[in-house]
Amino acid sequence: MIGASLSRWTMAYFASALFFLVAAECMMAGGYGFPHAAVGAPATLILVHVVAIGWLSVLMLGALFQFVPVLVAHPLHNDWLPLPTLLALLSGLAALILGFLQLASQVDPELPFFALASVLLGLGFAFALWNLGRTLWSAQSRPLPARFVMVGLTSVVATAGFGIVFALVLARTTTYGPFVALAGSALVIHVIAGLGGWLTVTAVGVSYRLLAMFMLAPELERSSTKAALYLGVAALAVAIGGGTWAILHGANFTLMLSGSAMVGLLAVALYAGDVVYLYKARKRRTIELNCRMAALALASLAASAVLIVVLLVLGQLKEYAAAVVFLAAFGWLSGLGLAQLYKIVAFLTWLECYGPVLGKTQTPRVQDLVIERRATKWFLLYFLAVWAGTIALVIGYSPAFQGAAAAMLIATGGIVAQFARTRRLADVTAAARLPVGVRKPRLLFAPSHQN
Amino acid sequence: MFIQTETTTDPAVLRFLPGRDVLGEGTVDLHDRTQAKASPLAERLFAISGVSAVSLGRDSITVTKNAGEWQHLKPAILGAIVEHFIAGVPILTDSAASLPHGLSAGAGNSGEGELSGRIKDALRAVIDPELGFNIVDLGLIYAVDVADGGAVRITMSTTTPGCPATSYLKQGTSECAGAVPGVECVEVQLTYDPRWSPEMMSAEAKARFGIRSGGHR
Repeated sequence: MIGASLSRWTMAYFASALFFLVAAECMMAGGYGFPHAAVGAPATLILVHVVAIGWLSVLMLGALFQFVPVLVAHPLHNDWLPLPTLLALLSGLAALILGFLQLASQVDPELPFFALASVLLGLGFAFALWNLGRTLWSAQSRPLPARFVMVGLTSVVATAGFGIVFALVLARTTTYGPFVALAGSALVIHVIAGLGGWLTVTAVGVSYRLLAMFMLAPELERSSTKAALYLGVAALAVAIGGGTWAILHGANFTLMLSGSAMVGLLAVALYAGDVVYLYKARKRRTIELNCRMAALALASLAASAVLIVVLLVLGQLKEYAAAVVFLAAFGWLSGLGLAQLYKIVAFLTWLECYGPVLGKTQTPRVQDLVIERRATKWFLLYFLAVWAGTIALVIGYSPAFQGAAAAMLIATGGIVAQFARTRRLADVTAAARLPVGVRKPRLLFAPSHQN
Repeated sequence: MFIQTETTTDPAVLRFLPGRDVLGEGTVDLHDRTQAKASPLAERLFAISGVSAVSLGRDSITVTKNAGEWQHLKPAILGAIVEHFIAGVPILTDSAASLPHGLSAGAGNSGEGELSGRIKDALRAVIDPELGFNIVDLGLIYAVDVADGGAVRITMSTTTPGCPATSYLKQGTSECAGAVPGVECVEVQLTYDPRWSPEMMSAEAKARFGIRSGGHR
């Protein structure tokens, strides 16, 4: 068969990811972690990893198991592996959090949580890479968006690799000199590889295709798109490869990172140009909520890039790095993720419920599973809260940041409620909801025969 | 764009009905590449290996083959026809004035054509879930071939290759067409040559999505 099928555990990935987003927002609203604790404090490290692994990575992997087959028109290599992958990631994250709590002397220091986290998270990401990598490798063609995803997946190796080294050094499992040197100085490379390489480059690749698909815009294979890819790869190579080399050989690390930032910003500028073109060239003049809200996420990415440029010029990037990371993680990546989830949850639910009876009976449209008007206010509140939180971090006013995080939490609650309603077909008119042969879907997974 | 295909009494000849005027009136018969220069559409068709003659009618294009199987030729012919109409170029050039015009031969099987139309109407009950519009007006049904005895072959596409709804759309199309009285069996063939584009939508579908019409129905 040409094409993809429903990935059974996609909804479980999305639900787990949303749980961790809500958990992270609760932490921020409650004053747990930065800015109430130092950047390197255990509380901040827990918060950061709940967001990076629990929310963003789990969300991205769940989406990729469904979306990579669409990108390359080839079925997922292995349909049952996503479940053990998810379990390994979630248990690995739990072990990592316990390891950080050991650092804060809140948990028995004898238990090897960091080593356990290294094994479980390494296993989870390895499963995912193998499954997605084999799918991409087996495809007859790999269009540009798929190549962005390949770069993103390669960055996972670097991100997880650094993370494992840090964990082993923190646990005192190893005292190998180069590892200790990296654990002392390579945190910024870990962040760039994770936030910039894995999450942003993958999101860029996915967005090229999703935006073209949902807005009936041309699929881009133009020179600016290729240049964005190559420059992105170059920026990552300089930051990860060059940065590691600089740390281990005592070379100028800051110079390496500055060079990487320049090239990376150029790649973002080209991507921004492409996205503006996609919106302008779209055939579908009236676009749906997911594409309208994606524009706000893209604006957040542009704002992050501008902020980096301004701070680089002022020589104050290090002082305000938290604000940039916050805006990129919650405005760009989380904003885009939530916006696309709004469409993807409805689409997958439609396929699960109404796909099998298509042609046999009248079916509602995907749009009939949602009420955009009701969801719009929650999305707008979310983005306004994120931007307010960023300003609060820039001006260094913690209570305002907590207030913004609380607003984010409320908005996320509203958005999650819409997802649950979609999943339960609550917004479909009673007459159209359950035609003969259709059953209400389960909240967290699709039945095994949906292939 | 919805193209019906009709068999004729001659197995080497197939008629394609693009659902819009071709010449409007009369016919033009083109027997080689030199004559085909009078028609950009015929030039595209003659570029396909195996096509030996093209006859342009009021609302149909009749293609004669001298080599190959229809199952291999048809996707290329359908693609050439769709590409021609999307390009919006005229059917005939000025040099066509020197060619002999005649009346349409009218050799079609009206019973099969009528069944094909009923299938097309029935398929309007099948929607593309993402766009929320029926697959006929979206232009996803490229051809409906009706053979003797009610055997139907439907050539269709999806809005994007690898769409997770692909198997459901194929199955739904088959189920829906199979329920039309007179249809004995249905084969649904999926193709991405040509790739679907919004220009293939009907005027009604284009209006629904706010797409400016490019001169198609």
